[in-house]
Amino acid sequence: MSYEMIMFLMFGGMMLMLLTGQRVFGAIGFIGSVFALWLWGTGGYELGFDASIKLLNWYPLLTVPMFVFMGYMLSESGIADDLYAMVHDLTGGLRGGLAIGTILLMVLISAMNGLSVAGMAIGCSIALPEMLKRKYDKRMISGVIQAGSSLGILIPPSVVLVLYGMIARQPVGDLWLAGVFPGLLMAALFLLYIVIRCWIQPELGPVLPPEERSVTWQHKMKSVAKGIPAVLVMFLVIGLFLMGVTSLVESSAVGALSAIGLAAWKKRLNWPVMERTLVQTMNISAMFMWIIMAALCFGVVFDGLGAVKAIKSIFLGDWGLTPWQVIWLMMISFIILGMFLDDTAMLVIVAPLYIPLVGELGFDLVWFGVLYTITCQIAYITPPFGYNLFLMRAMAPKEFTLGDIYRSIVPFALIMILTIMIIMAFPQIATWLPEQMMRK
Amino acid sequence: MADRFFAVAGVYVRWVDAINRKVGRFAMIWLFALLFGILTYGIITDVILQTPANWAMEMAQFTMAAYYILGGGFSLQNDAHVRVDLLYGRWSPLTRARVDVFTSLLLMFYLGILVVGGFQSVQYAVEHNQKNFTAWGPPLAPIKIIMVTGILLMLLQTTSIFLKSLAHCLKRELP
Repeated sequence: MSYEMIMFLMFGGMMLMLLTGQRVFGAIGFIGSVFALWLWGTGGYELGFDASIKLLNWYPLLTVPMFVFMGYMLSESGIADDLYAMVHDLTGGLRGGLAIGTILLMVLISAMNGLSVAGMAIGCSIALPEMLKRKYDKRMISGVIQAGSSLGILIPPSVVLVLYGMIARQPVGDLWLAGVFPGLLMAALFLLYIVIRCWIQPELGPVLPPEERSVTWQHKMKSVAKGIPAVLVMFLVIGLFLMGVTSLVESSAVGALSAIGLAAWKKRLNWPVMERTLVQTMNISAMFMWIIMAALCFGVVFDGLGAVKAIKSIFLGDWGLTPWQVIWLMMISFIILGMFLDDTAMLVIVAPLYIPLVGELGFDLVWFGVLYTITCQIAYITPPFGYNLFLMRAMAPKEFTLGDIYRSIVPFALIMILTIMIIMAFPQIATWLPEQMMRK
Repeated sequence: MADRFFAVAGVYVRWVDAINRKVGRFAMIWLFALLFGILTYGIITDVILQTPANWAMEMAQFTMAAYYILGGGFSLQNDAHVRVDLLYGRWSPLTRARVDVFTSLLLMFYLGILVVGGFQSVQYAVEHNQKNFTAWGPPLAPIKIIMVTGILLMLLQTTSIFLKSLAHCLKRELP
């Protein structure tokens, strides 16, 4: 059997296994180990376990439990409520003001945790009921929360960029810096969309009733003062890392420590909060690590079949694509794969095939990392497989139908694609900041 | 005969669930605390005292591996692992159980291969006194043994899940 055929069988087998609804790590790991045994006989036994040994030496993965812990500590202890109260008071008076406030809240939350789960939890538990009470459109609410929380992986700290950095061998510091302006640009485009949409259709995001709007200046100052400590934590974590005071892993531990400190200072640290945070940290870390482990095993077999060469010869030889067309094709394939596949598995399996080619074609791998991360954001919100969709369905009240949740993401997914195009046209948006910091 | 089988299976499932719960909660609290402690110690020695301990980062990595692998069975119990629910989400509980009976066997196969591979790897580490290729150079056998134990526990948890699905398919109660 030709290698191309085996590769096709492997990929098809994985997709089929995923459709059975077995856990993603099990589906990928099963196919990986079956093909390892088939291709290499008894030599294939150790392949799966070797992946876990490889993970032992990927020290940046230590940031995963720390950042997950930090995000959940902020949401479980109610520190995020203060942040929400701050943006609520500042933007409530505008049309669609609470949706605007939610996006701003999500930008702040994103700067304090590296995944989107904490943002989803905070959005669904704090922002959603407030907006629902004020008769905001359900699709507006669902879209804003899902899209806003996905910024968590683009704005530093970002776990997705840590993983990308390991695979592409690029410095995490550069990648994080490169994510700053694209993240802010995307948030700005979200805001622009909300403002315009609510200006045309005020019923989507009605202005708060006058008695709620007339909060005094002092009241506003007070709620800002309450929200400030959490914002300081965020600067502490990212700032210390970028100034080179703490290493990547150390900063994540500083983040987790300061989240505990903040919760204790606000007198909200107790065992139930701690326990809920620890359970979530365990669940998400285990899920994340087991998927990487299975995907590494799959990826080794896939690479062993010569998939890198095959892709290169198809893209450049058979189809005769220009470098930019190759990048476009990669982006499109990421977006399509992301609809069906977990983004971590996608990165571990597909990125090693693409990255050598991207480098050879003379593109900047840091810039490509940012583009890739945005495709992950799209993957989070596009059906049928998307983390934010799952979480939204699990956490939203019954009145949000599946149709509402699916349709709500359309404008936001389009904005994300627009962001990809803008960053392709002006790579400086991503590359300028890391270059500035490097020169110092 | 079948009654007897499900009676025994019920006891087995309870034991396996209880063990994984205990081990998982241990990892969730104490291994996380240990990880936290090591990283904090690392910050103090590296950033404040400027005398980095070369063992801290490696020890943290080992703790992390023990954390997510020993916590694996517990996370399975909590149903924390995502699935593609394009079809799965639309099936009735009975259809899900029927498919799960079959696919959890495949999950067992993967975990079984991991255990076999892990066993060989442990054997090699013990016989050759294998050390990690770093400045500190700790022996690898202990962490490998912990990891294989964790994977074995995960395999046991999968058998428990399999039995629960099987009982559901046959409309039996596990006592």
